[in-house]
Amino acid sequence: MKDKLMPYVLLAPQILLTLLFMIGLVTGITQSLGVIPAFGLKKPTLLYYKEVLSRPDMMRSVLYSLRIALFSSVLATAGGVFFCGVCVMGKKTQVAVMRIIQLPIIVPHVVTALFIINIFSRNGILARAAYALGMIQEQQQFPMLIYDPHGIGIIMAYLWKEIPFIIYFVIALMANINGSLGEAATNLGAKTWTVFWRVTLPLCRNTIISGFLIIFVFALGAYELPLLLGATVPKALPVLAYQEYIHPDLRNRPYAMALNGIIIAISLISSLLYFLMMRKSVKCLTEEQ
Amino acid sequence: MKNKRKSIFISITQFVLLAAILVPAVTLLLWIFTERWTWPDLAPQVFSKRAIFEIAGRKKELLQILWSSILISTVVAVLSAVIGIMTARAILLYRFPGKQVVYFFTILPFMVPATVFAMGIQITFIKMGLNNRITGVIIAHLICSLPYAIRLIMDGTAAVGSRLEEQARVLGASPFKAFYKTSLPMLMPVILSAVSMSYIVSFSQYFLTLMIGGGNVKTFTILMVPYLQSGNRNIACIYSTLFLGVTLLVFGVFEWAAGRFMKHGGGEFYTSE
Repeated sequence: MKDKLMPYVLLAPQILLTLLFMIGLVTGITQSLGVIPAFGLKKPTLLYYKEVLSRPDMMRSVLYSLRIALFSSVLATAGGVFFCGVCVMGKKTQVAVMRIIQLPIIVPHVVTALFIINIFSRNGILARAAYALGMIQEQQQFPMLIYDPHGIGIIMAYLWKEIPFIIYFVIALMANINGSLGEAATNLGAKTWTVFWRVTLPLCRNTIISGFLIIFVFALGAYELPLLLGATVPKALPVLAYQEYIHPDLRNRPYAMALNGIIIAISLISSLLYFLMMRKSVKCLTEEQ
Repeated sequence: MKNKRKSIFISITQFVLLAAILVPAVTLLLWIFTERWTWPDLAPQVFSKRAIFEIAGRKKELLQILWSSILISTVVAVLSAVIGIMTARAILLYRFPGKQVVYFFTILPFMVPATVFAMGIQITFIKMGLNNRITGVIIAHLICSLPYAIRLIMDGTAAVGSRLEEQARVLGASPFKAFYKTSLPMLMPVILSAVSMSYIVSFSQYFLTLMIGGGNVKTFTILMVPYLQSGNRNIACIYSTLFLGVTLLVFGVFEWAAGRFMKHGGGEFYTSE
């Protein structure tokens, strides 16, 4: 009897926090459907979504955010996994090196923005180096790497933060697999890179994809870096959403929530794809047997 | 011969990554003492300690923000670890209906960005009287950091298992004592990772702190953003260095505390060979 109650006792704080989280999520979604009784808006409607998706400036924001999130997370995952592979196969990564690699994880995004400004702005070290090397004659000739409409500065800031995150996320598992099954494959005569591609990487796939999803969703919904390094036009989705949220006309709030709804939709679709892929890979395994 | 080429390749890759990580940190230190650095010189022309003195003059305000930042993040980190352990144990060691659903909901905050959650929950927090208060900020941060802690601790709990604990129970230990004496020391490296990760998630949070804290609760990020927007790099760099230093110090304390708990010492979750 006591044992039956135990899991619920253990889960109590978790359930409370989850409830709070769900209240936030559900409030956001109902408001995006135009239901805010306090403002006299009562009838649910898809109008706000339609309007947001048909306005060209908002559509540009959607694409802008999506591009930044996709580029930064794909590149960060590829870079992180590549480095993990190099480290694991070398078998000589010192503790000190791993510590330094973990450093960017503890650096807040706000500080990362400062780094990027110091290095890549038109007044930064890179521009000065280009002048010293005679590649440019004037400050204005240096390409806009931050505050640019393509989000290059933002992507670089994310890369600096997220490559170490992926390494941190994947390396323990990868070292483990490479040490046991990889060793076996090597003994059977497989080459180092073959082992990596055919044994280690496929077995780490789920962890890698979930790491990718975490940073993708984070980059899609983060506010600080687009605020500090982004262009005035187009604005990133969260920046635009916040602008509508604090609009003096409270009837603008459903627009903010509709923009948030789009962020949620993209995140949920990508996680759904992930679950479908996981299921498929399980099926493949059973079929082969 | 071929092995030598491989090891050179590995060294170069590691060197490039380390340089990419450390060079920005050097610019941080450089800017602390920079007084004048006009285009197009490669090095600053005039160095001074003016910015440092300026900040030293605001010591009282700074100490207060430092204190509230550390307090919020430490409380969030410790609570995350405790709740993480409880949830991980409930999911992994007990049988109950709806387990999959519970697991799904614990991981869900990964899939919903903090900005979306913050704008949705603000009204509820205002109604509950949690807005503009440290308690509210702690609860909001906790929700965002918990999935990281749970993921790490679940991996650890799965690896440690419950056999030793059951053994201790058979030998007559109370449930809590059995956990405290067997599983907890073995879980310590993972708990340390969870605590550090949660601390960082809370410490880096800007938007959520801004929305729930309403400008009343001041943390490091809230302090930093205006300086970055106004382009005051001297001050921003000093604050950054200071707070990063303090974070490393706090982590040192965490590691020391965890080390006291472990039999073998050394809190490294990954060491090759």
